[in-house]
Amino acid sequence: MSTLTIIFLVLVIGLAGAFLAYRYSRSLAAKDGAQLHSRPIYHASYVACWAMIPALLALMVWLVVSPIVIASDVRGSFPEGILAETSLTEDLAYGIVESLGSGLRVLPADERETITDATPVAELRELLNQRGVPIASASADWMVPLAIQLNGMQIFSRWAMTAVVVLLALGGAFWGYRNIAPRLRARNGVERVVTGALIAASSIAIMTTVGIVFSMLFETIDFFSRISPMEFFFGTEWNPRFSGAGSEGSAGSFGFIPLLAGTLYIGFVAMLIAVPIGLFAAIYMAEYADSRTRSVVKPLLEVLAGIPTIVYGFFALVTVGPFLRDLSAQISGLVTGDYTSFIQAQSVLTAGLVMAIMLIPFVSSLSDDIITSVPRSLRDGSLGLGATRSETIKRVILPAALPGIVSALLLTASRAIGETMIVVLAAGVAANLTINPFDAMTTITVKIVAQLTGDLEFNSPQTLVAFALGMTLFVITLCLNIYALYIVRKYKEQYE
Amino acid sequence: MENIQATLNRGQAVQSAKPIKMKSQDVTVHYGSKQALNGITLDIPERQVTALIGPSGCGKSTYLRCLNRMNDTIDSASVGGKITLDGEDIYDPAIDVVELRARVGMVFQKPNPFPKSIYENVAYGPKIHGLSRNKQELDEIVHTSLKKAGLYNEVKDRLDEPGTGLSGGQQQRLCIARAIAVSPEVILMDEPCSALDPIATATVEELIDELRENFTIVIVTHSMQQAARVSQITAMFHLGDLAEVGPTEKMFSNPDDKRTQDYITGRFG
Repeated sequence: MSTLTIIFLVLVIGLAGAFLAYRYSRSLAAKDGAQLHSRPIYHASYVACWAMIPALLALMVWLVVSPIVIASDVRGSFPEGILAETSLTEDLAYGIVESLGSGLRVLPADERETITDATPVAELRELLNQRGVPIASASADWMVPLAIQLNGMQIFSRWAMTAVVVLLALGGAFWGYRNIAPRLRARNGVERVVTGALIAASSIAIMTTVGIVFSMLFETIDFFSRISPMEFFFGTEWNPRFSGAGSEGSAGSFGFIPLLAGTLYIGFVAMLIAVPIGLFAAIYMAEYADSRTRSVVKPLLEVLAGIPTIVYGFFALVTVGPFLRDLSAQISGLVTGDYTSFIQAQSVLTAGLVMAIMLIPFVSSLSDDIITSVPRSLRDGSLGLGATRSETIKRVILPAALPGIVSALLLTASRAIGETMIVVLAAGVAANLTINPFDAMTTITVKIVAQLTGDLEFNSPQTLVAFALGMTLFVITLCLNIYALYIVRKYKEQYE
Repeated sequence: MENIQATLNRGQAVQSAKPIKMKSQDVTVHYGSKQALNGITLDIPERQVTALIGPSGCGKSTYLRCLNRMNDTIDSASVGGKITLDGEDIYDPAIDVVELRARVGMVFQKPNPFPKSIYENVAYGPKIHGLSRNKQELDEIVHTSLKKAGLYNEVKDRLDEPGTGLSGGQQQRLCIARAIAVSPEVILMDEPCSALDPIATATVEELIDELRENFTIVIVTHSMQQAARVSQITAMFHLGDLAEVGPTEKMFSNPDDKRTQDYITGRFG
């Protein structure tokens, strides 16, 4: 029975239990006119919870645990020393056994009967190939009995799981139904289940973050065991030569400084342009625009946020970059008479400018919400003292909105630091270390992509460095966010 | 009733004819298509407390907000008729609304100190209007305003602490000090005690009575006792109309209008 069928069965049991509980509860109320603690719908939900939650939890645990148990059992019965003779690793061998085992289930019953422990693997492989199941040529005869054993265990596990889950569902429904009484606090019970579900939902997000960190952590540690952290964090040259086959030892240099500098520089230029424009737009929308203007301008600004960043990249590559280059040629021509452009088509300035356009709606939309949420009474108080609108904004509203605005800006900064596509197209992929904004630079994210694309093995420093870069980026944005929280808290303590 | 009568006898002895500070003629207010005031004609005497009373939604706060053009900040509001301050039409396009609001200050229903220190709250108005040439003068203004608002002794050691940290009554007196600091001629108060407990209310009422010496005060209140205690003139609003206006003593003892009579005897409201 497939997992979906089992889930469906559990749902049916739950619904049936709920229906019966509803009827029973109604009859209780009608029969002795007793005052029910909870309305019948709560009794129904109570029974449904008892029927479904333990059963589905058991299903989940079983699905996670049984492959682990089966795998360890099968691996335990690998013949002694056999792996040492061949070039197979244990994982690879187990993978072949597994695909043999699942192949067995594809075969029709009469053909499966013919397979025994003594069947040579070549014969089985031939049989499976006819059914469209390819098996690695590294398979060996000793794997056949293991595959049969594995298959048997899996089938047994599935039957046992079905039985346990369905029994749990029935038992739960029965237990819940038996508990129904006029004074049963079903309402409170259902409330607890709702709370639990909400907690589970929020912990999933946290667990995922932790999972992501750990998945990067081990690769990062692996990287640092090959390249010293000193070289990575303080090196000023980025040149991770892709070592061809056989050229061991030419690892290249992994200086992180040019990438960090590029990331911060491009982000800085972008914020320098986006923050004033976005903030002023927000102030206009929140304080000056009448509701009709606002209802047109705000959605229009937010359209910018919906444009995919790769499109901004095109815009930079095709329009802004060449424009800046030609403009600089004209300027230098006018000043010195020599028409050479001093801005390259791909430059920090181009990337910063286009990224700023992308960030404006973030800054303006977030700040607008924050400014609008400053209580009206503060505005009235200031205007009532004879302050002008701009004095009110500068001296009362912006200070009151400051913590919110700062955290909005830091959020925007995190986005600027994480941006990839615009940088690839607008600033190039050359890892320069320069302070000239008219030169090409590149960022951490661009290099992560560059290191992970292509046909590579996953155990060389050239690819592992991507994880170290990712981890560093994560730490940087984490610090930014923590700092944002700190600012907000400090300010709140002071004034509220 | 007896209670109110007793208060009246004490408070109204000083009643005498005073020059008119603000005059309104046929003032109307529309919020969108809804008319909130139907032609109010009312004189506000100088250095007196004028109380505006009436049931909720009768337009008394709307009228108050016309007197320093706070209705300008509401997009949908439009004001008609004529209001003069010392004979000048305050809705004249030549009038600077910012200057007007410096002359006609306002204290709101809910205390609304800025999220700044006590000192900065009071110094805010003088700073934006450039009323002081140096720090000493500014200090002087802040201290005097706080003293006039009867708050100085309670806060003199913590002028740097946030104004939002004070109690409700103290916050409201801080807002009054803030309004006084720009030396307005008229102070408008929109139910200044409705968010306060009885003791804080008593303090603020005493303060209002003292402020009458230097300022013209218009106060909107829900409490008839309060109107009787602090005001010399009372105007009764009803459904956007001015039902009756007269010396407070007369309004509470012998009102001409049936609606006033019903309201002060608690038949509606």
